[in-house]
Amino acid sequence: MAIAERGYTHWTGTLGTGRRPWRVIAGQAVRLAWKRKFFKPIFFFSLLPALVFSAGIYVSERIQDFQEMLKGADKFLKINPEYFQAYYGSNFLFFMMLIIMVGSGAGLIADDLRHNALPLYFSRPLRKRDYIGGKFAALAFFLLLLTLAPGILFLFLKLIFSGSFAFLADYPWLPFSFIGWSVFLSSFFSLYTLLLSSLGRNRRFASILILGAYFVSDVVFAILFGIFRDPAFTLFSLQMNMRQASAVFLGVKPPQHVSGFYSILILAAIMAVALLVLRKKIRGTEVIR
Amino acid sequence: MNIDLSNVRFSYGPIRALDGVTLQIGEGACGLLGPNGAGKSTLLKILLGFLRPDAGEGQVLGHDIRKDTFGIRRVVGYMPEDDCFIPGLDAVSFTSHFGELSGMPRAEAMKRAHDVLYYVGLGESRYRLLETYSAGMKQRLKLAQALVHDPKILFLDEPTSNLDPQGRTEILELISDITSKKDLHVLISSHILTDIEQTCSALVILNKGKVAAQGELAALREVKFSLYEMKVKGEDGPFLEALGRSGCRTEKTEDGVIKAYLPAAMDRRDVFRLADSAGVQIRHFIKSRTSLEDLFARTVGVD
Repeated sequence: MAIAERGYTHWTGTLGTGRRPWRVIAGQAVRLAWKRKFFKPIFFFSLLPALVFSAGIYVSERIQDFQEMLKGADKFLKINPEYFQAYYGSNFLFFMMLIIMVGSGAGLIADDLRHNALPLYFSRPLRKRDYIGGKFAALAFFLLLLTLAPGILFLFLKLIFSGSFAFLADYPWLPFSFIGWSVFLSSFFSLYTLLLSSLGRNRRFASILILGAYFVSDVVFAILFGIFRDPAFTLFSLQMNMRQASAVFLGVKPPQHVSGFYSILILAAIMAVALLVLRKKIRGTEVIR
Repeated sequence: MNIDLSNVRFSYGPIRALDGVTLQIGEGACGLLGPNGAGKSTLLKILLGFLRPDAGEGQVLGHDIRKDTFGIRRVVGYMPEDDCFIPGLDAVSFTSHFGELSGMPRAEAMKRAHDVLYYVGLGESRYRLLETYSAGMKQRLKLAQALVHDPKILFLDEPTSNLDPQGRTEILELISDITSKKDLHVLISSHILTDIEQTCSALVILNKGKVAAQGELAALREVKFSLYEMKVKGEDGPFLEALGRSGCRTEKTEDGVIKAYLPAAMDRRDVFRLADSAGVQIRHFIKSRTSLEDLFARTVGVD
């Protein structure tokens, strides 16, 4: 291997000072996730329910043509906030978001910790918030493609197929609900993943934590609810909290007899804890005092 | 001065890592030498703004170490001691990524990444995944990412650690080439004396968090110590004792050569007087050029 066939040469450009390093980090993280084995098939599979719900919107506008096929199931095809809550509060969507987080986010910080990449990042003009923000943005990008993008598509299809703005006049808050819930849910999953990824130096360990915490919370809820029959135990389950919160955002009745605002508070508290832990864990050098 | 520190203190809890470090480092290549735990890496981390000193002031190329860490990081290239990489990337993506983070436009960073990878000898393997790199290649990669944004000063933390002799020689050749540039300065932290001797013209020796010696290497060798090598005929025990009483540190090599470090107040004629009084004849007497090893041992107080 020849070394320095020609001597060191200087770069003649000028370093920019007004750049946004989080964008660079986010771009790199998205490209890395996209290159991972099985990520693309899983991601596109996750979009399947969005296709089904889009088809539902089309069928609902052509109900006469599909009467024979539907055989009385057309009552499920009333396009209203409940219809969209069935998409946004579905266990399948949450599960696929979780799987995408495992695929794209489990190693996002754990790998940097394991391979000592943080000193390299922070030897650049970079703040903690740039680093965390970049990683967060990469995860949120994928999640918004599963939440916000279908929401916009649903509205667009509804307006196109119905040929009028009556739907928006009936539910004027719905676009904001879509945006609010998509951002809230994506933020929650992104911060939840980054938090658990920062707790160790091993991608697999982080993956187990991401899946484990989600399902254990659900099991705890199932056991306690099975024994005491108290809907308040809904608050122990991440999945149930998300369903409750989605109902609040979309203005429909929550599945359990507990205020959905409590669920929003719990999810927001988890996000706040995640931010605090991340701020503490992410630093250019390990300092043990 | 490139680096100017005044009375810098830093503690890890009850352990004082830096205790009133005051130093000035000029242009060219400077070695930061010291035994393990002397505070070398801590000093580099303070210079980079990773750690905030408990007390003291300092500047790196005119940028304040407390207030302007971003300014410092724009002009500094840092090569950490440990293996550092991002799994899943090849060398070009990795190097250009850090170029972009330093503020380079994307296309420029990519072009420059190719240049520096060729320069450090990774041109042929620049599209290989970093996980497949050997220890020597990872070391070169770290140097490439430190150079990508064309810094004014390089901080190299143990640049030859974990390398085989061939890899070590190659990295030292690269560092020597870099230091030959008048406008790119290098601070090398190491505990390998020969590396420093081979690449640096100035030296700072840290010991127990304090500056034990600093200055131009040649001057330190000349001023601080007068090392003489001699062979004597006769019983050398009383002679060595007499030298010791006069404040000399002495060593005797396997082939019977006595090395005597004379304190500044002592003259070489005193050595002959002591030999005469101890009843030995000096048969061979030369002033030795103090090796860095001697200087280090003397300064740090270890053999």
